[in-house]
Amino acid sequence: MPAFAAPLDRAILAGALCGDGAAQVGAAEGLVRAGGDLPADDLAYAGRLLGALVERRLACLPDGALLLAGQNAPEGQDAVTDARRPAAEARAPVLGLRQRAAVETARGVVALLTEGTPAARAAGLAVLERRITIVPAAVLDRARDAESDAALKGTIASLAEAAALSSPDPVRRRAAIAAVAASPSGAAAARLDALKSDPAYRADPAFRVALDAGLAQVRRAVAIGDGLAIVYNGLSFASILFMAAAGLAIIFGLMGVINLAQGEFIMLGAYTTYGVQEAFRRFVPGLLDLYLVAAVPVAFLAVALVGIGVEALVLRHLYRRPLMSLLATWAVSLFLVNLVRVTVGTQNLQFSMPAYVSGGVPVYADFVMTWNRLFAIGFAVATLFLTLLILRRTPLGLDIRAVTQNRDMAACLGLPTRRIDRLAFGLGSGLAGLAGVALCPIYSVNPGMGSGFIVDSFMVVVLGGVGSLIGTLVAAVAVGGANVLIEPISGAVAAKVIVLVGIILFLQRRPKGLFAVRRRR
Amino acid sequence: MQTIRARPAGPAPRAVRDPLVAGLVVLCLVAAAALLAAPPTPYLVNALGQLAAFAILAVSLDLVWGYLGILSLGHGLFFAIGGYVCAMHLLAHGASVTGVLPDFVQFMGWKTLPTYWAGLDLAAYAFVLALALAGLVAFVFGLASFRSRVNGVYFSIISQALVYVAMLLMYRNDTGLGGNNGMTGFPLLFGWPMGSPRVGTGLAVAALLTLAAVLAGTRLLVGGAVGRRMLACRDDEIRLRTLGYSTTRLKLGIWCLSAMIAALAGILYVPQVGIINPRVLAPDLSIEIAVWVAVGGLGRLGGAVIGAVLVNGLKFWLSAAMPEAWPFILSGLVLLVVLVLPNGLLDLAALRPRPIWLRRGR
Amino acid sequence: MSALVVDALTVAFGRFTALDAVSLAVDQGEVRAVIGPNGAGKTTLLDVISGITKPVSGRVMLGDSIDLTKCSEAEIARAGVRRKFQKPSVFPALTVRENIEMGCGPALKARARVARVAAVLDEISLAPRAAVQAGALAHGEKQWLEIGMVLAAEPALLLLDEPVAGLSDAETAQTAALIRDLRRPDRAILVIEHDMAFVEAIADRVTVLHEGRTLYEGSMQGARGDARVIEVFLGR
Repeated sequence: MPAFAAPLDRAILAGALCGDGAAQVGAAEGLVRAGGDLPADDLAYAGRLLGALVERRLACLPDGALLLAGQNAPEGQDAVTDARRPAAEARAPVLGLRQRAAVETARGVVALLTEGTPAARAAGLAVLERRITIVPAAVLDRARDAESDAALKGTIASLAEAAALSSPDPVRRRAAIAAVAASPSGAAAARLDALKSDPAYRADPAFRVALDAGLAQVRRAVAIGDGLAIVYNGLSFASILFMAAAGLAIIFGLMGVINLAQGEFIMLGAYTTYGVQEAFRRFVPGLLDLYLVAAVPVAFLAVALVGIGVEALVLRHLYRRPLMSLLATWAVSLFLVNLVRVTVGTQNLQFSMPAYVSGGVPVYADFVMTWNRLFAIGFAVATLFLTLLILRRTPLGLDIRAVTQNRDMAACLGLPTRRIDRLAFGLGSGLAGLAGVALCPIYSVNPGMGSGFIVDSFMVVVLGGVGSLIGTLVAAVAVGGANVLIEPISGAVAAKVIVLVGIILFLQRRPKGLFAVRRRR
Repeated sequence: MQTIRARPAGPAPRAVRDPLVAGLVVLCLVAAAALLAAPPTPYLVNALGQLAAFAILAVSLDLVWGYLGILSLGHGLFFAIGGYVCAMHLLAHGASVTGVLPDFVQFMGWKTLPTYWAGLDLAAYAFVLALALAGLVAFVFGLASFRSRVNGVYFSIISQALVYVAMLLMYRNDTGLGGNNGMTGFPLLFGWPMGSPRVGTGLAVAALLTLAAVLAGTRLLVGGAVGRRMLACRDDEIRLRTLGYSTTRLKLGIWCLSAMIAALAGILYVPQVGIINPRVLAPDLSIEIAVWVAVGGLGRLGGAVIGAVLVNGLKFWLSAAMPEAWPFILSGLVLLVVLVLPNGLLDLAALRPRPIWLRRGR
Repeated sequence: MSALVVDALTVAFGRFTALDAVSLAVDQGEVRAVIGPNGAGKTTLLDVISGITKPVSGRVMLGDSIDLTKCSEAEIARAGVRRKFQKPSVFPALTVRENIEMGCGPALKARARVARVAAVLDEISLAPRAAVQAGALAHGEKQWLEIGMVLAAEPALLLLDEPVAGLSDAETAQTAALIRDLRRPDRAILVIEHDMAFVEAIADRVTVLHEGRTLYEGSMQGARGDARVIEVFLGR
């Protein structure tokens, strides 16, 4: 069996391929073993020879071999000297099954290392995958290092890893285990776990120790990564809840009205975002990616106007009858849902996803920080600061706080409480519109979307207490976090049950919520 | 409310004088007798029976909202408890007579009914269980809320969360109560085949008689000393407490009673429609009950009945005739009543002058 | 002996201290007025005594044995404490007679109640209006009705929160006369009021509260002469 080393001895290779079945297999396997070290032109040459052999264009003469242009061609090129020679006396060997497999593997190595297109290299890799145990690490490492296509590079790397893990060489296996453990993920844990059923796990103590250690390391890292992912998802859910509830809480604190149409205001915010997207698509398609940013002020203003309209037409008459205002805002929500249903349709809206809200960056183990959720979190933080700024630093905010704490006194001091109510209702509604914008990259947008999390945001208002934005924030984080934390343990429904029971129990101790503004009776 | 006029001294006069309720009770009895004497088409009988069940439900809500100022947006829960237990009874009864297990039990791959179904084939036990369960759930939730003085809008939205969570719970298949599809295909009622006109008439008559009894009973209650305390509690709870009355006990008692009446409505409703599923627990449906009461006239038992019959009659008719338009009509109706007719459609009839103090506080 | 002892009572709402270690003792048979500028904590004091607000620390003893800070509003009321609120608090949906019946409390037997209600109706001069719904009464009548409601239980301790706020001079004089009539050896009366002439006319002693603390306790004449009281209250 010839062992090939650089530079390749072309005569020996040609001779072996013209030899008996054992010589052919030996040559092919030798090529596979040496594939990692041979220069590219040698590999390409071997590839031409092997291809000719498979296609029966390799004609063997007693003193050499010819490459024919086609099967049974009358003459060909000498495999070593490139001289043209007649092929009349030559014999074209036929490959047996075993030989064919070995030759195909060798061709796969050549294709992977020398082909010009990623597709052709991927085809070579696919051939290798079937007989991965005989492919040396050097071949795969070389292919991976040279690979320019990112996806194929990843495939090669994972195949190399798998090959190393199942390698017959114990040292290489242990190194592979350490390598897998160094970049932990759920998939890595599964791969290592599968090795426990390998006979070596029982037979080889060193292997067992290495595997157990690697597995423990991966599992620990995966647990941390999953924990981070839960925190991240909890934060993004809490952000949505906060934005949905902040407007509710401001309105409730000021007027004692719970707006059951708040969910539909969020829906309107999302539909406004869609409208902005369509306008961009039509008039400035080049700037389409900026539509989400442009939708922020548009959605805020549009929904704020709707809110002011609802206040002026309906709620204005109901401040002394808060329970009736529940029914009235429910009627508004019923109206809005069906209006959108009839005019736009019930299907989910399709949004184009700009680069800044699609994909994500892998952070640790399986935890990927997705941009759309980060967008929602950042959005909520910005909303929080802006709202705090409005409430604490603007004349309107001062008026809102004054009326929230003592409406009669504020009225006596000459504050226009009616106008403040209307503006505050606009502010609260506008916040719902912003929540709608933030939801677009995360949730499906349809007329019924408002009802999905509205009960949760009511619970946030109840838990947070009246008229305190910070209370709303803390409660949103608590409810969002509790939902996301409990969900993997006992399911989404159980999470909702536990959160509700928790809130009812909490109200036993603090009936006015976490942060209640003290008001005169 | 009575008009203002001088009255001789004596026991409180509001007691048993409510011509509207009296008229409705008589109407129920007459209708029941008419059904027995000359039953009309099964469709009409069924519609009448369903309306009676809804009217009972509306009365149960009016009792706490109109007379105690407690707006429950979760009364569908108690209605559903009655309905589910009734459905369990019907299925268990059917299984014990025919020996065939209900569809959903076979669907889940179970060989027998879950153990907590034991004894439900006995109608009396199921009846008591339905009312007791509704009362118990109401008691626990009411105690937690009233004790910590959760009231007003807070109470309303927490009760809504309660029914919402119950809905999520019942959508699960592993609860042993039919999950998403609910329970249907009831074969027998007291041994009689479910589809027979006789059973249909019997159910409608039972619903009408129950409505009459509930109306009479709640009228006696709100017309007496307890009713005066309820009104006092509704208008100024702190004042009532500082006069030495335990409002928590009062509210808890009426709340539980109301829940049990709602369960009664559920018991009567389910055999008439032949199905129960988690959609009765949708928050929107519970709000609709409040709409019936508001439309008919808050704080008047007769108003609740009229509102339930009117809105549901409209719904039967319009959601079939023009399904697209019905939600708009309903929301328009609610806004109209809330903004223009604060005491409901009874204002239109101008049966009584509207006292100024009814406009506030609710 | 003391009918009511308030002992080092402190009430805080968040960071705001409404009452800061306030102590006072009201004797049996005494009419005590509590005065002070807005925000001095007068209504908070009544809220604690009637159980609506719970203090951070301190005790409120009724007689020798009952600590009112440990009781619910209903228990306090059943122990013989009645309060008239600043805003007339009657039940608008009930008639005048029914309001007074409510005032008798849940324990009184039916027969005794009929007699009591009749007596109270006479006392507050609303007997001709007995069948009128309270929501339809004039403001002054509502004040009187509420006084009747709290009297119906024959309270041992009567708390009056600005009983003449918004009344005419004639009605004020009438109310002052009524309160003097209400004075009994076995009853203590605690009045919160702004109207100095009215306080002078009814009170045995006054307590002046300022920013949650007791500033002065003694006779009305003494209060008028006290420099600190003049500075924070009377002098304005």
